[in-house]
Amino acid sequence: MAESLLSVGIDVGTTTTQLVVSRITVENRASGFCVPEMDITNREILYESEVAFTPLVGENLVDGGKIAEFVEEEYRKAGIKPTEVDTGAVIVTGETSRKENAAAVLQSLAGLAGEFVVATAGPDLESILAAKGAGAVAYSQRTGKNVLHMDIGGGTSNLCYIRDGEIAATGCLNVGGRLVKVEDGRISYVSTVVESLWAAGASPRPTGRMEVGEGAEVRKLEALADVLVQGLEMAAGLREKTPLWDALWTQECGEYGERIATPVCGLARNDVDFRQGRMEVGDRWVVSFSGGVADCIREDFDSFAFGDMGPILGRAIRKSRLCRGEYMLGEHTIRATVIGAGCHSAQLSGSTVFCRDVALPLKNLTVAAVPEDEQTDAGSIARRLAAADSGKAVLALPGYAGAGYAQVAQLADAVLEGFGDREILVCIEQDLAKALGQMLFLRSGKPCLCIDRVRLPAGSYLDVGVPVGPCFPVVVKTLILNG
Amino acid sequence: MNKQELSAMVAEILQGMNIGQVQAEEQCSPLQEPMVKGSDYKPTKPVRDKIDRERIATPVCGLARNDEKFLGDPGEVEDISALDLRKLYLQENAQDKEGFARLKMKTPARLASGRAGARYKTLTMLRFRADHAAAQDAVFFQVPEDYPRKHGLVAVQTRCRDKDEYLTRPDLGRCFDGENEEIIRQNLPQKPVVQIVVGDGLSSAACQANAMDCLAAIRDGLKLKGIELGKSLFVRYCRVGAGDAVGDITGCKVVCVLVGERQGLVTDKSMSCYITYEPHTGVSESARTVVSNIHAQGTPAVEAGAHIAGLIQTILKRKVSGVGLHLEEAL
Repeated sequence: MAESLLSVGIDVGTTTTQLVVSRITVENRASGFCVPEMDITNREILYESEVAFTPLVGENLVDGGKIAEFVEEEYRKAGIKPTEVDTGAVIVTGETSRKENAAAVLQSLAGLAGEFVVATAGPDLESILAAKGAGAVAYSQRTGKNVLHMDIGGGTSNLCYIRDGEIAATGCLNVGGRLVKVEDGRISYVSTVVESLWAAGASPRPTGRMEVGEGAEVRKLEALADVLVQGLEMAAGLREKTPLWDALWTQECGEYGERIATPVCGLARNDVDFRQGRMEVGDRWVVSFSGGVADCIREDFDSFAFGDMGPILGRAIRKSRLCRGEYMLGEHTIRATVIGAGCHSAQLSGSTVFCRDVALPLKNLTVAAVPEDEQTDAGSIARRLAAADSGKAVLALPGYAGAGYAQVAQLADAVLEGFGDREILVCIEQDLAKALGQMLFLRSGKPCLCIDRVRLPAGSYLDVGVPVGPCFPVVVKTLILNG
Repeated sequence: MNKQELSAMVAEILQGMNIGQVQAEEQCSPLQEPMVKGSDYKPTKPVRDKIDRERIATPVCGLARNDEKFLGDPGEVEDISALDLRKLYLQENAQDKEGFARLKMKTPARLASGRAGARYKTLTMLRFRADHAAAQDAVFFQVPEDYPRKHGLVAVQTRCRDKDEYLTRPDLGRCFDGENEEIIRQNLPQKPVVQIVVGDGLSSAACQANAMDCLAAIRDGLKLKGIELGKSLFVRYCRVGAGDAVGDITGCKVVCVLVGERQGLVTDKSMSCYITYEPHTGVSESARTVVSNIHAQGTPAVEAGAHIAGLIQTILKRKVSGVGLHLEEAL
């Protein structure tokens, strides 16, 4: 009884724009004598676009029209229509997401790319998608090894620490191959990040300031690359942190739930071997790389082969402390993020869930998370729903393991009172959504969606698609941009 | 062996499980001192000459710690059945100890149990026997007399007179004598759409732990579809086939039997649900739709109930249950 979903991933990065089309297979993994348990059993890539340069108008404006054209053209080549697309994600990554018009581009693309393709951006989610797309999470699950994954793109490096197959921490640094661009032997662009390294009094300082228009000197860029790589080493806990760290740390990068209590910087110190002077990496975890720059780590390219400092940065990484132990390149490198977006952004709810009279898909639901000890406090539920700003909110509850009927009934009463006149949308971690959902509907007769086995961190957003068999595809997002 | 010795032994074994321990200790294990000198050995006091069977049969889990009369002094010996089997790692000299331990976390199966010569280690053996004892207790444990009344169930008994007959004569566990048939006829609705039967089956513990939560959720789910349940039946010494006899007597469209499963060594509280369309004596076993593994670590009873209500609706719509239903779904 396999069902399949057509999924599209579109990644608009600082440097490149890519698209993949994949087929996600969903099957019941439980025996016929048990309650069904739907799971994603296969992810097959059907089509990969060329890696195109992200069209820009001037230095900072993403050309929304051109990107829309690109997507339409790739859909034509892949032979799919927007109406056929079930799920996926459009993500604007890296430095691009901080540019003024990224939000508008996201919204116009989401409309074009099918009803349930999710518009999203944010370094936490990006880090996770890149690590999954590169195969680093699967590698950790397969081998039981811990992996520190770095997706080094044009504008940023997305970090993800994977402990025994589980995402343990994410982080983001302003380290990328296109912080400086070169045209015809001359510097054509210097990112404000490079400038800020000076302003922040970062130590060590890159030798010699760079100005647009001056001749590109390999030696000068190598010095800059060395400084940037030191930031990556600090993230891995292989170097003492200096003010350089603060200058490179991406501020928007927040927490992805409580499970990732500390971003990589903190975790590296506590958990990953931090041994100054002894730079053996790999006895506790393996370093893995993806992103465009990853291709320049093992292979030597001409310094300005791509019109930027990517090859120079790649060489600097190869010589750094990061590569003195065991390291590896992802299964996918430059395509890791887009494959993550296409194949790994959707997950499935539990298979016993409840939905009555609620129109799907639902997009950008604000998460109102209630802690375990306040689950039956209607006042707390109402307050948190009200606080979850405008638009629709979904109530996130931990639930109770092995709850009895009376306990679920108590929960149902509190939830109903807390929701008041709002549409009842509930997402619970423990396996009891169907029982809770039918209680809610019996008591109120109002439209009600109740799903389970999805963990929603506070401050995240949820999209829910039309059901696949008995369950719902959902996407948990950490940051949305409103058009 | 007295209690102190046993305590010391369990403590030592537990210490030996510590994965992070230094390898060096393992490599050159010195000759161990015997733990107790012969002169110190005192035989354990006899606990009680005769143990009332119904006593053992009461609360399975609390038995080891709480029943003073049974254990003499409680609380001195570590409760080995409380150890998490997933964490019980006893394998020595593994090439990748941490890796093995991590794999083991994925299953409660008795892996990485090491060996003493050609035999089990003491802890493995004791734990196995403890789990086996719990499983046996769950069979002999009686659902209390007032259980049906407390939960508004109509109580009947199959032709079995006691547990022994129940275990040795499965055929008697599927039918009722005239008196019990009359109770069913008098107290249950005639020709209901759905009749629920709660049975003790092979685990009274499972029945008590799950049946009422499950039943309440089934009731909710059916109500949503406009099906009201009448009184439900409690059957002592119940086999799944007792539902067929209930079908004969009441003429229900669907019978749904909630019954304690034969125990494994992992849990003694697992319940199953058997749903049969147009049940009657002699109906084929393949005509039953089964939902198994209903317990706190499997599918929680409440959620299973909601799922079962959905299944019953599907069965009523398709007018078929069991293998036929699954085949249709696959098409």
